[in-house]
Amino acid sequence: MADPRAIASRLFQDVMAPLVLGGPVRPGHAIGARAAQELASAADAIDAELADRVQTGRVRRARRLAPIDSLEPASGAEWVLMASLHDVLQSTNPSFDSALRRGAAVRILDLAHQTLERVPPAAHVGEALSRHSWLARLFELSRTDTDVSWWTGSRTFRGVAPPARLQAWPELRRVSVVATPRPLLELTPLAVDRDKLVGAVARMLERSPLTDLATCTRAAPAFAWQRTTLALVATRAGRTLVLRSLQRLSGPEVDTVLGKATRALLASKGASSEPALALLGERALGAAQGASASSSPSNPEAEFARGLGAVCATHLLGERGWPEAERARLLAALGPVSASPAAREACALLPADP
Amino acid sequence: MLERIALHQTRLHTPGLGLDSKGVALGAKGLVLLPSIDRLVAFLAVYTRERSLEDLMPSLTMNVVRSKLGTREITLEVAAESSDRMDRISETARLVGGSTFTGTSRHFVQYRDAAAPFGYDATELLATDAALLLYHDRFSQTYDVERALELRALLLRLMPHVDPSTRLEPGLRLVVAEQGLGAALVHYLVRSRVEGEVGVAEWPPESAFDDYPVRRWLLRIPEVPERMRDLLHATPGITSFVPAGPGAAVEAGFRHPVELRACPVFDAAGVVLVRGRGDEPWVIPRLPPMGPLTAFARVELRSSPREAAVATRVEAAETVRVPLRVTPSSAPWRNVTATWIEPAQLPLLRRLAYALPRPTITRATVALTERGAFLRSGGGIEAIPLGTFFVEVHPNLYVPAGYEVTPAVAPEVLARALGAPPGQVLFLGTDAHAVAVDEAAFVPLEAALLDAPPWTTAVAEEIDRSLEEAPLGMEVSSIGMLPLRGVEPSPDRNG
Repeated sequence: MADPRAIASRLFQDVMAPLVLGGPVRPGHAIGARAAQELASAADAIDAELADRVQTGRVRRARRLAPIDSLEPASGAEWVLMASLHDVLQSTNPSFDSALRRGAAVRILDLAHQTLERVPPAAHVGEALSRHSWLARLFELSRTDTDVSWWTGSRTFRGVAPPARLQAWPELRRVSVVATPRPLLELTPLAVDRDKLVGAVARMLERSPLTDLATCTRAAPAFAWQRTTLALVATRAGRTLVLRSLQRLSGPEVDTVLGKATRALLASKGASSEPALALLGERALGAAQGASASSSPSNPEAEFARGLGAVCATHLLGERGWPEAERARLLAALGPVSASPAAREACALLPADP
Repeated sequence: MLERIALHQTRLHTPGLGLDSKGVALGAKGLVLLPSIDRLVAFLAVYTRERSLEDLMPSLTMNVVRSKLGTREITLEVAAESSDRMDRISETARLVGGSTFTGTSRHFVQYRDAAAPFGYDATELLATDAALLLYHDRFSQTYDVERALELRALLLRLMPHVDPSTRLEPGLRLVVAEQGLGAALVHYLVRSRVEGEVGVAEWPPESAFDDYPVRRWLLRIPEVPERMRDLLHATPGITSFVPAGPGAAVEAGFRHPVELRACPVFDAAGVVLVRGRGDEPWVIPRLPPMGPLTAFARVELRSSPREAAVATRVEAAETVRVPLRVTPSSAPWRNVTATWIEPAQLPLLRRLAYALPRPTITRATVALTERGAFLRSGGGIEAIPLGTFFVEVHPNLYVPAGYEVTPAVAPEVLARALGAPPGQVLFLGTDAHAVAVDEAAFVPLEAALLDAPPWTTAVAEEIDRSLEEAPLGMEVSSIGMLPLRGVEPSPDRNG
């Protein structure tokens, strides 16, 4: 096995730091599950100056959601999480897309799955926020593929800059350069099964529930309520962080995603749906207080989420000691939504004693 | 005699054969064995359709070789710089029925194929003095070089195929017209307002019976109007060519079997005109001087030449004018509203600026010239005790204070005599020489006085920039020969 200090230094410099500070992420030789376990003990090998900058970037990211002044350096679980992310990224390397090498990419992705299995769920809200500070920009990752064509041929450069000689004399050689950024889950060609890759990213989000909720409007993997996300939302502090992170997304899209996921949760009757209902209720209360009822064209899932939220918010207004005038104003604002057909449909799905 | 090279095999028998970074057997050269000339042409045609020969040209040699049995075949040798290049050559050769070999000096083994991904090695070498020894999995053969083939000569010998579509291609045309037709064609093009250039090229006499060189008109027309295409393509004695790369053009209506753009063998300073129907190409080693078509337009002269009328100078009328003088005067100073501060006194003005009262600074205007600073102030300039004071005797006309002009003409007459254009302020010196300053050059003194200290960038902008997040990207690196080396599952799963 390679030197864990060298791996830790490479992982931090090429993946963890760019993921926080921006710039090119350069996944290299795969790490594997065994080496990932030993990275935390080799964390003193990383560049101290770079580590300071990364810590500042993480705090800046975390302060978008909570007024904190410091975060702990990467924990053992976070090192393992980032090592598995590295291996997931490496498995998308287009060089694997050949007959003799495809198996290696599949093996690397399998090991990344194994590595993720070793990461325990976030134990408290602070840990969820710490993990989110690493993975918040996960879905901003994209590889730039460049198509260069000239008068006698063309070539595609995937994730590398085309050499200058191919772009020389652009007018004489009729050079055309088209750069196309491709998000992580839309990379092509891919040596591994795309569903498996999406599954690995979903597993990673399961280990970072705040990231899962803060990016819930992503195209893939589709958001669904998990035990970890419900556990986060079940706490008062966790729900506050989630509400703040959802404020940064498009309201109608969030309503659509949460409506769909909550409908599935209620239909499954597998896990307690109370945290999700509380979140929807507080979102509805916030909308009613700000009188920010969406006037944009809506869809059934968003209507479902708003209706269910209005019902839960009405319930919350009955429980808490609100000033009477404020309570009356909020009930008036929530009334039309809580009486809508979507709300009645949602009520039918609710447990007997919510 | 050939054996496949195994993974991690390091020892090879064939001299000059080594392993590249991917483990593929590679010599310094690559060699393509082709059964005939037409296969060679097919190889060049296929290869140049996708890529340029520019990279191969420095090391490209082609030979006709003869085996012991007397059969003649063609070899094409290039520097085998990498297995990527050799893979391309090998695929092209396979397509046209050729075989690819690699080696360094005389011994060449078969290049890798699907059966042997790392290539082949010859276990037993032939002992012979032949120039080439080729080892293939189906034969081992020796060859002697009979003669070399030159690419340029080969390309010029190839007859273009008939392809009428090239006549419709837009863009530049080179037109060659026989000597008797050239002048008429040029005149026709000039009359039709077609832009282009024209020159005359010479070729040696076609036979010993000709005394003079053959001359033809060479026209370069950037865009031939559609209505003229038939004329240029179908008129006997006029041949139209379509550029096919630097220094080469092919007759319109024909297409060369090899993509000439990909063959950098023609000198761009000249041009080779490849003709169809089996006619020999016209080679112009150096393009003749060419002039615009309009320079050859027909000229006409007037029938009755007359000398051009020449304007003649008329003597000035007798005058009674006397020169202007500026003389001291004992008259009291009035309306002293300007001063002329010479360059040597400008430092004093700078020092004085700190002591000047605000009303004086507000009212005064200044024009800075190479002769010094001119200050004007409608309320009086005495508050600035510097330079030569001037009295405004007429709008925009100043005379030194304590002086008067002689002859004692009215200020209006003086202004008219000086003939200053509107917008100019005239200062008449004691030597009766006037200095004109553009009125627009006078700016408020308070705007000209203050030399503002440098200032630094606002802090707010710095903060904004530092909070920007750099975009995220992903770069791909090499996965190496063993992408799974050291990648192990977790210990408990190993059991």
